[in-house]
Amino acid sequence: MIKQTTYLSHSYGKPNSWTLSAYESAGGYRGVRKALALTREGVIEEAKKAHVRGRGGAGFDCGTKWSFMPKESKKPHYLVVNADEGEPGTFKDRSIMEMNPHSLIEGCIIGCYGIGAHACYIYVRDELHLSKARLWGAIREAKAKGYLGNNPFGKDYPVELYVHSGAGAYICGEETALLNSLEGRRGEPRLKPPFPAQYGAFGCPSTVNNVETLAIMASAFDMGCDEFSKLSELHPFNDGGARLFGVSGHVNRPGIYEAAVGLTLRELIYDLGGGVLQGRSILGVIPGGSSCPVHLPDELPTLPPDPRYDAYRGKSILDIPLGVDTFRSAGSMLGTCCAMVLSDAVDPVLALHNVMRFYRHESCGQCTPCREGCGWIERILNKVVEGKATIDELDRVHEIASNITGNTICAFGDGAAQPALAFIKRYRKHFEDYIVNGGKSQTRRLTV
Amino acid sequence: MPNFKLDDREIPFEPGETIIRAAQKAGIDIPHYCWHAGLSVAANCRMCLVELMPPPGRPAMLLDVLAWDKIKQEYLPQKKPKLVPSCQQAAADGMVVKSQTSEHVDVARASVQELLLLNHPVDCPICDQAGECRLQDYWLEHQGTKKRMRDEPVHKPKAVVFGPTIVYDAERCIVCTRCVRVSDELAKDPVLSVRERGNLNEIVVAPGRQLDHPYTLMTEYVCPVGALTSIDFRFKARVWFLRSRRTVCVGCATGCNSFSDFDPRDQKVYRYRPRENLAVNKFWMCDDGMLDYRRIHEGRVLEARVAGRPATVAAALATAAQLLVAAGPASTAVVLSAEHSNEDNFALLSLAKSLGFSDIYQSGRPAGQGDDILRHPDKNPNSAGVAALGKASGLKSFVELVEAIRAGKASTVIALGSATPTGSGAAALAEVRSLIAIATHEGAVVDRASVVLPASSWAEADGTFVNAKGMSQESERAIHPHGSSQPAFRLISELAALLGKPLGWKKLTELRAAMAPAAPRSVAPDSASLGAE
Ligand SMILES: Cc1cc2nc3c(=O)[nH]c(=O)nc-3n(C[C@H](O)[C@H](O)[C@H](O)COP(=O)(O)O)c2cc1C
Ligand code: SF4
Ligand code: SF4
Ligand code: FES
Repeated sequence: MIKQTTYLSHSYGKPNSWTLSAYESAGGYRGVRKALALTREGVIEEAKKAHVRGRGGAGFDCGTKWSFMPKESKKPHYLVVNADEGEPGTFKDRSIMEMNPHSLIEGCIIGCYGIGAHACYIYVRDELHLSKARLWGAIREAKAKGYLGNNPFGKDYPVELYVHSGAGAYICGEETALLNSLEGRRGEPRLKPPFPAQYGAFGCPSTVNNVETLAIMASAFDMGCDEFSKLSELHPFNDGGARLFGVSGHVNRPGIYEAAVGLTLRELIYDLGGGVLQGRSILGVIPGGSSCPVHLPDELPTLPPDPRYDAYRGKSILDIPLGVDTFRSAGSMLGTCCAMVLSDAVDPVLALHNVMRFYRHESCGQCTPCREGCGWIERILNKVVEGKATIDELDRVHEIASNITGNTICAFGDGAAQPALAFIKRYRKHFEDYIVNGGKSQTRRLTV
Repeated sequence: MPNFKLDDREIPFEPGETIIRAAQKAGIDIPHYCWHAGLSVAANCRMCLVELMPPPGRPAMLLDVLAWDKIKQEYLPQKKPKLVPSCQQAAADGMVVKSQTSEHVDVARASVQELLLLNHPVDCPICDQAGECRLQDYWLEHQGTKKRMRDEPVHKPKAVVFGPTIVYDAERCIVCTRCVRVSDELAKDPVLSVRERGNLNEIVVAPGRQLDHPYTLMTEYVCPVGALTSIDFRFKARVWFLRSRRTVCVGCATGCNSFSDFDPRDQKVYRYRPRENLAVNKFWMCDDGMLDYRRIHEGRVLEARVAGRPATVAAALATAAQLLVAAGPASTAVVLSAEHSNEDNFALLSLAKSLGFSDIYQSGRPAGQGDDILRHPDKNPNSAGVAALGKASGLKSFVELVEAIRAGKASTVIALGSATPTGSGAAALAEVRSLIAIATHEGAVVDRASVVLPASSWAEADGTFVNAKGMSQESERAIHPHGSSQPAFRLISELAALLGKPLGWKKLTELRAAMAPAAPRSVAPDSASLGAE
């Protein structure tokens, strides 16, 4: 169901929307005042009621994550904001940082208070220069007003925010690689346990949250978290509130749209995204960043027997509300909730080739299956595209990807294997055509 | 002790111990590359994956993968359990772990094995690691298929000189980071790191640096493949021709446990390797110690000498006997050596006693550099043994020997050992009338000796050494005595016989039996210290 909202996007496209005065005149910095009036435990209890599922891709409940932080510890606590936004097809965090940076600042103050941190590092992907500048600007403004510093909003709870430039690697978006990178180490995922809440930045208890997760918390606290959660059609699935939905690829109006959770892919693509370019039909859609599986438009997922799913039975994947659990149960993944649409004028073989080149290039290379497996798949696909592969080699792809799945340190491995498995499963004939006929019956195009 | 089940065996474990370590202690080797008991856990190679059975009543965590049905020509969705690295997973009481009995584990290991060899040059015929390479061993055990990727592998730098001791071949490297961790954690010198990403990864030395800390050879030692080779050992020997004996490093008073690897055909020692002893050296040795094997073959005294001229051992022994008889107890000094084993020193002490010589001194090598990792500043393997053995005889220091010589009180000296603790001490030895040297190596002592008796080195004789912690450790003979050399205890026993004062033992076991009551308990040979082979 489409229920467009403007909690984060009210300022998008407006002049000087990133300034403190614009933010406050739109009702900003109210949520944080309400949060600071509560106790730390009170903030966590309230946050849990918002059912904000992590917007970074894993979909973990934000309030629950905050509650994992130690009640007391000898070491300082840190809030770390994941603004590395490197997932292909994902560009929502950037819009917040550029056009509504104060919402993130506000969310960070709430987060710091909730987890017992006095310092917060915002780790921004290096290329996002405007985001960094707008964040620093917002921090300066907030400091000048006394919203940051020793007594934010008059409360005796010091909070400082710092913007840190990323080291230019997709893997630095994985939260523990991010922590290593923040510390000046090689950006490689750490082994878990210990989890960041026990041993995070600089060995201290830390929480890593996505930009949007924190930014939306400001609105949730302003509105009352329970009420906020109920905006969502998926409130019964503990997937609450509103979020940014992205759509890119072959649609008429690609972009970021804010709506209550409950939106479907069909609504995102056709109603908000303006439908497929040139009025063509959908070849495939990737729900939330390239690490998610690709789906055919008419795919009918098998849903669990749970009665909460009854409403969606027999429906195509395009008509199931985009939610963390709904998509997981449908054999898919919500990821960053930024869908990529492929029109039937393009070639799925080239699409997978493109995706796997990315994963080969970005694997940090710690784990054998990911390091070598991504390279091997890319090499096979290079040959497929050049018309030099054999059927035998094509039959390696699912085998290599299946052996990456679950066998690595971080989720990058699964994120690289999923698209490979999903594409060959759905478009095997197209791949075979490249091998048998040199791809003559394919469009051999990625753009429309 | 709590237990877990690994395949069909119950494995006891200490709380906090990982599955792989507990299994290793129970004698089961779960295949692994990156894990090393002496290093932090990296869990990057993924060779040690095992299947954990979910607790009763709980479902296993299943993952979606695909299989290809050749007949139906379609992909079949399949489920597989999430495997865990046994090097990272802590054991828990009652846990059920499948390693060799899980088909999923089999598949995963075969896949890791294939992937590790995907871009590997497979140049085993010219690789020094061949014969002790995990890639070879595990290929046999877990893969056994031909290479399926027919394309050109990724090329990377080869024969990169990392420093004075190590050469690196990036194409053979499996990026397990063991070498990085040895530098970080053992040597405390983070001079190695990984550069690049994905399958372009390679190990590099920090800019402006060389790999030159005192433990560089441990990087080569832990490298599970042929990526790091020691400049000293490379291209010298095929390991399958080598045999090993359990020895003790004589490089310093730490007494690191080692293996001496020798070729029985040419009776040469080609290298040392550390031998695990958690109470002494844990898993490690220092570079000085590792390269100390070279002294077995360098600068050796292999023939007897009388008055600077070559002589037979028999002739040298006869001359020595005459000199000792002529000198008598009043003007003779007996010098024990911390370079030599308890056996050698005990023999000399016994000779002194039977001849009524009571001026007993201690010599040894000069002190050197130490650290708080392994290296001891005392560069002798047996100072503690000599001190304990000589205590009852009023053992005196080398400084006192120099004073006695200068005062004309020691005109005849019978000395075990090749080195003196100080240079001025060596000069003083030139002033004595007769110097009988029982020595392994050329040097200050031998240069000034009237009679030289060629002693076998530590590698050519069994011996017991007492380290700085007072631990008595046995070292096994690896090779036959070189040249005309004999174990010092044997030379001394023959000398005693010539003097009409036989020492009462012939064989090593008899010597040790005789030594046992004489030596304080701590220096009694402790066969348990030999550890596992
Ligand atoms: C390979 C990889 C890349 C990731 N990149 C990002 C990213 O760019 N931004 C992000 O917020 N989360 C990213 N994540 C997810 C983070 O690890 C983490 O789950 C998230 O930052 C937690 O924040 P949240 O709970 O607020 O979503 C990535 C994960 C993986 C495995
Ligand atoms: S799965 Fe890939 S990206 Fe993640 S730690 Fe392993 S090698 Fe690095
Ligand atoms: S050089 Fe050897 S020890 Fe170092 S990472 Fe490579 S394979 Fe591992
Ligand atoms: S031994 Fe390498 S992952 Fe466990």
